[in-house]
Amino acid sequence: MVELQYYLSNLPDGLIYGLLAMGIYISLRILDIPDLTTEGSFGFGMVVSVLTALHGHPILALFLGMAAGAAAGIITGLLQTKLSVHPVLAGIITMSGLYSINLVCYSLTDKGATTNLSYEKNTVFEKVKELFGIRGQFETSVVKAVVSLIIVSLVLMIVIWFFRTRVGLCVRATGDNPDMVSASSINVDRTKIIGLLIANALIGLSGALASQSLGYSDINTSNGTLIYGLAAVIIGEAIFGKRGPAIGVLSAVVGSILYKLIVAFVIRENIFGEKSANLMKFTCALIVAITLAIPAIKRMIAERKQRKAAN
Amino acid sequence: MLEIQNITKTFEKGTVNEHVAIKDMSLSLKKGEFVTIVGSNGAGKSTLFNAICGSFLVDGGHIFLDNEDITYKSEHKRAREIGRVFQDPMKGTAPNMTIEENLALAYTRSERHANPFSSAITKKKVAFFRENLARYHMGIEDRMKTKIGLLSGGQRQVVTLLMCTLSVPKLLLLDEHTAALDPATAEKVMEITKKIVAENQLTTMMITHNLKQSLTTGSRTIMLDSGEIILDISGKERDNMTMDDLVKMYSMKKQKEFDNDRILLSSEE
Repeated sequence: MVELQYYLSNLPDGLIYGLLAMGIYISLRILDIPDLTTEGSFGFGMVVSVLTALHGHPILALFLGMAAGAAAGIITGLLQTKLSVHPVLAGIITMSGLYSINLVCYSLTDKGATTNLSYEKNTVFEKVKELFGIRGQFETSVVKAVVSLIIVSLVLMIVIWFFRTRVGLCVRATGDNPDMVSASSINVDRTKIIGLLIANALIGLSGALASQSLGYSDINTSNGTLIYGLAAVIIGEAIFGKRGPAIGVLSAVVGSILYKLIVAFVIRENIFGEKSANLMKFTCALIVAITLAIPAIKRMIAERKQRKAAN
Repeated sequence: MLEIQNITKTFEKGTVNEHVAIKDMSLSLKKGEFVTIVGSNGAGKSTLFNAICGSFLVDGGHIFLDNEDITYKSEHKRAREIGRVFQDPMKGTAPNMTIEENLALAYTRSERHANPFSSAITKKKVAFFRENLARYHMGIEDRMKTKIGLLSGGQRQVVTLLMCTLSVPKLLLLDEHTAALDPATAEKVMEITKKIVAENQLTTMMITHNLKQSLTTGSRTIMLDSGEIILDISGKERDNMTMDDLVKMYSMKKQKEFDNDRILLSSEE
C-alpha cells in the first residue's frame, strides 16, 4: 500500500509533464524543428500562473500561463521565419531573453526581489479539495491525479482534433515537405509560427499546472525540462513506434508518465546509491543518448557480423 | 493568359560571380496554349519558371497572368493560380502523409474561404479524389491511406500532377517532370499529362531535354540560350521541323556567337 501510494503520488507529475512532452513532440516530430524555447516558455508559464493565481484566479492562471507560452512560441517563430534566424539559435535567443523577463516577473509582487513565489493555496487543486472537503496526503495525490487527468485528456482531444483540421494538416505538411506546402498556396511562415505557438502553449500550460501542483513557482524549476521532454517523447516512441500525430501526442504523454515512474523507482530503490536523487538529469541524458544511439549500434553489430561471415 | 514583358534577372550582382540568368525576355502565351521549352543546361529554363512562380523577384520588367500584374506578388499567393511539377518526384508531395492527406492539402487551394478549422478530410472529398485518381489506371485509388513515400516515382508524379490540377490553375509549369522516371513510366506519365492538359484546356509550359518530345508535344516550341529566347516556332514551321533541324539551328546560333567572339578578340590584337 505504501508502495502504491508512493507511485501514485508521481502520477500527477507524469501527466502534467505529459503536456510538456506533447509540446516537444509537436515541434520536434511534427514540425521537424529543434525548438529550444522550452525552458523559457515553461518558466514563463509558471510565473504568469503564480502571479495570476495570487490575484485569486487559479483557473484563469492556467489559461494565461498557456498564453504566455504561446507568446514565447510566436517570438521564436517570427525569428525563425521572417528574420531567417537559425531554428536552434532562435530558440536559444527567446529562452535567454525570457529568463530575465521571468526574473522581473518574480519581483512584481510586494515581496520585492525574489526567485520563488508561493501560491498560498490559490491553486486549482486546493480549490477542488476545498470544494469536496478532502484532506490527507494520499487523498491529495488522488485529487491531483484526477484533475490532471481531466485537463490532459481534454488537451489531448483538442490537439488530436486540431491536426485533423485544414490548418492542422498544413502544419503537419510543413514539417514533412515545406516546398510542397508553399506550392499548394499556403504561407509556410505562418504554419511554422502556428506550430511553434501550439507547441509552446502546451509547454506554458504544463509549467502553470506543474507549479500549481508544487504549490509554488521557482525560477529554477524549469531547468532540465527540455531534456525531460525529449526523454518522454523517445520513450513513447519506443513503445508506440513512429506513427501519425494522434498516436504521437498520446505516446508522448505515456512516455512522460513512464519516465516519472522510472525516476521514482530509481530514487526509491537507490539504484545509484545514496546520490540517486542528484543523478536525475544524468539518468535522463543517458536514456535519451542510448535510445537515440540504438539504430547506429544495431547497424554496427550487423556490419560486423557481415564482415565476419565474409571472412 | 501569360504575358511576360522584358524581364531581366542577374544573380550575385556586383560580385565576380555576377551572372545574367534572364536577359530582357518577353513572351506571350494564349489561353490553352501548350509550349515546350528546350535549351542546354544554364540556358535559363528553370530560372524562367522560378521568375514566373515568384521564387525571387525579377530585376526589371513585368509579368501578367490573366491580365493581373503578378510581378511583385508573393510566391505562395501566386501558387493559387500556378501549378508546378518538378523533376524530382520527392519535391511535390509530403512523404510521411497519406495520399488522401496530400490531395486534401492541395485541394485547400480551391477552398480558400472555407473555415480553416473544418475537417480536412471528408468522405465526400475522398470519393472525389478516388474518382479522379481512378481515371489514370495507376492502381493508386485503392491505396488512399498509404503514405506517399511508399509509392513509386511515376505514381508520385501522377499524384503531384493531380494535386496541381484538382483545382484548375491558370498556368501549369512542368519542369522536366518525367526525366527522373524509367522510359516506360515516363511515357505513361506523359500520356496522363497530355490527357489532363487537354481535358482542362490548361495553359502549359513544359521544360524537356527530349528534343523529339519537344516537337511532338503541345503546339509551340521555344528554345532558350543564355537567358534569351533564340527560337520560337509554332504551326506549319514547327510541323516541318525535324530534330536534326533543331540541333543544327542550335549549333549554328552557338557558332555565330563563337565567330563574333573570335572577331572581337582578333580585332583587339
